[in-house]
Amino acid sequence: MSQENLNLLDDNFEIERMNLAERVQHIVLMVSFIILIITGFPLLFFEWKFWQVLFGSPISFYIRGLLHRISAVMLIGLSIFHIFYVIFSKDGKEFFRAMIPKWKDFRDAFETFMHYFGFTRYLKSRGILTKFFEKNPYWLFNELPKYDRYDFRQKFEYWAVVWGSFVMILTGLAMWFVEFTISIFPLWVYDVCRIIHSYEAILAFLAIIIWHMYNVHLNPEAFPMSKIWLTGKITVRELRERHPLEYERFIEKLKKEGISDGRNSKGNNPEN
Amino acid sequence: MKRYLYLIIFALPFYLLAQSNEDCLTCHGDESIKTPERQELYINNDGFSISVHGKAGISCIDCHSDLKGVQDFPHSEKLKKVSCSECHSDVYEKMKNSIHFKKVECKNCHGSHYIYEKDNPQSFIYPLNIPRICEECHIKKVRIERGFEFIKLYDDSIHGRALTKSGLIYSATCVSCHGSHDIRAVSSKDSNVFRANIPYLCGNCHKGILQDYLEGVHGKDFLKGNTDVPVCIDCHGEHDIYPIDQPRSKVYHTKVPQVCGKCHANEILARKYGYSIFRVLTYQKSFHGIATSYGDLRTANCASCHDYHNIRKSSDPKSPIHPDNLSKTCGKCHKGVGRDFAKGKIHVWEEKKENIWAYIVRKFYTIMITVIIGGFLIFIFVELYARIKRGVKR
Repeated sequence: MSQENLNLLDDNFEIERMNLAERVQHIVLMVSFIILIITGFPLLFFEWKFWQVLFGSPISFYIRGLLHRISAVMLIGLSIFHIFYVIFSKDGKEFFRAMIPKWKDFRDAFETFMHYFGFTRYLKSRGILTKFFEKNPYWLFNELPKYDRYDFRQKFEYWAVVWGSFVMILTGLAMWFVEFTISIFPLWVYDVCRIIHSYEAILAFLAIIIWHMYNVHLNPEAFPMSKIWLTGKITVRELRERHPLEYERFIEKLKKEGISDGRNSKGNNPEN
Repeated sequence: MKRYLYLIIFALPFYLLAQSNEDCLTCHGDESIKTPERQELYINNDGFSISVHGKAGISCIDCHSDLKGVQDFPHSEKLKKVSCSECHSDVYEKMKNSIHFKKVECKNCHGSHYIYEKDNPQSFIYPLNIPRICEECHIKKVRIERGFEFIKLYDDSIHGRALTKSGLIYSATCVSCHGSHDIRAVSSKDSNVFRANIPYLCGNCHKGILQDYLEGVHGKDFLKGNTDVPVCIDCHGEHDIYPIDQPRSKVYHTKVPQVCGKCHANEILARKYGYSIFRVLTYQKSFHGIATSYGDLRTANCASCHDYHNIRKSSDPKSPIHPDNLSKTCGKCHKGVGRDFAKGKIHVWEEKKENIWAYIVRKFYTIMITVIIGGFLIFIFVELYARIKRGVKR
C-alpha cells in the first residue's frame, strides 16, 4: 500500500468491527458455554474431588442438571437467532459472506505457519538451495499473508462453533429426551450420542482455552485481553496490521466518499 | 405306713432345726448390715417374695444349703457358692456348650435374690434390659476381637433404636441373634450367627424376606451350601444395621454399587464363577452410576433394575430385567416408554465387540482431538517462539 494511503486516517481512529447484535450474540454464547462446561464436565470427570465437593448432594446435583438444560436452551435460542441474523439482516449477510472459507484461507494458514517457522529462511542462510530461493522468493515466506476481514483462524473458529453447536445440540437433545431416543433407536445410539457429546465437549473446551484465548486475547499484541468483544471497536492501526485487505477496501471506500470525513471525527488524537 | 413313719422320724429333726426366712431376716432385714469390706448384706424381703423363687416358696437355705442346720449365729462369713444347677440342671446342660461356661455365672445375667419372670419389666432379662446386661461386660471388661466399639454399634442400630427409642420389645436384642444359655463363638458351626445359619436367623423375624432371598440366585446357591454367596449381613451389616434411608446404612441408595461390587467387581470371585467384573464398572461410568456417585437419589442403582433380595437371572420370566419386563422396569423412572424400549446391550465394556459404532466414534474423536489440539499447540508454540525469541515480525 502506498504512503499516501497510510496517512489517510489517524492510527487511533476507531471503526466498528462487531455491531451490537454480534456482541450480544458473543456474550450469550460465552455465558452459555461457560455454564455448559461447568455443569457438564462434572459428568465427565466425576472422579475429581473438586466436582464431588461442588455437586456432591442431591440438590446441587439437581441444580447442575437444571442449569445445564437452561443454558442449552440459551444456546439453541442463540443458534436460531443467528440463523435468522445471517439470512435476513444486512450486517448478518455481510458477516456470513466474509466467513465463507476460501482456498486462500488454507494457503494463508500454511504461509503463516511457514513464516513463523522460518525453516526456508534458515536453509537459505546456510547456503542451501540458494538459487531456488532467489528465483522463488515466495518460499522464503518473508511476509505474513494479507488477511481479509476474517483471517483463517477466525474462520476456523466460527465454523468449529457452528459444527460443534450443531453436534452438541443434536446429541444433547437425544439425551435430554432419552425416552424418545431409545424407544425408536437401539441402545447403542444413545451410547454413541453420549460419547460424541463428551468428546465434542472436551474438544470445544480445549479449542476455546487454547486456540481462541491465545489468538484473541493472550497473544503478545492483545495481552491481557482484546476489548473488541466489549466495545466492538477496532483502531485503524490494528485493522491495517491484522486485516490488511479489509483495510485497503476501507480506504478505497473512503477515497470515493471524500477523505476528510474520517479525519475530522476523531482527528485530534496524535499517535503515541 | 412304715415309709411315712421313717420319713417323719428322719425329717423331724431337720424340720425342728430348720431356720425359716424370718430367722435369716432377723439380721439380713436390717438395711445397715454390711461386711467389714462394706458389702451390702441386706435382703429386701418384699422384693424377694415376688421373685420367681420367692413365689415358689423357696427359702433361703434351699439355695444357701450349707447353712442348713447351723445353729450358731452369726454364721461363718464365707458361704459356699449357690449352685443353681441343682434345680436347673437342663439349663446347666445347655450352658456346658456355651462360650460363657465357667466364665459367666447365672447371677451375672439373672441377678440373685430378685429374679423375676422374663416378661416382668423389672427382670434383668426383660428385652429392654438385655443390651445393658451384656454390655456390662462386653463394652467394659471383655474385649472381643472386633473391639468394644463393634458391640456399642448395636445401641444406635435399627434394632437397638427400635428397642430403646421406639420401645419395641420384639426388636432383636443380643439374645435374639446370639442365643442365651448356649451362646457359642461366631466361628462355631452350631452358633446362631455362624455364616451358614444367618439367613434362617434373620428369617426368624423377617420371614417374607427369607422367602424372597431363597428364591433368588443368591438364595438358591446358599441352599446348595455355597459359602461365597452373600447372606444378609454381607449387604446389611451386623451390629451396624441402619434404616436404608440413612446415609450411614450400608445399603443406602448411593452405596449399593459398592456393596454389590464387593463380589461383582472382585476378580477372583468373577473367575471362579464365570461372571463379568465389568457390570459394576460400566454402571459406574454410565449416567446412572455417575449421578449416584454425586449422591443423587433419583437415579437407578443396581437394585433398581435387578431387585435385591430375590435377584433373578435375566432368563427368568419373573426377573425385572427379563426382556419382557424391561419396559416396566425402566418405566419406573422413564415414564411413557413403549414395548420396544431399551432394546440392545447394556453394560457394554468391550465396545469393539459389543458396540462397534461407539468404538469407531471414540477412536475417531481421540485421534481428531489429538491432531487438532496438537496442531494448535504446535502452531502457537512456533508463533510465540518466533516472535519472542527470534524477533520475527508479525
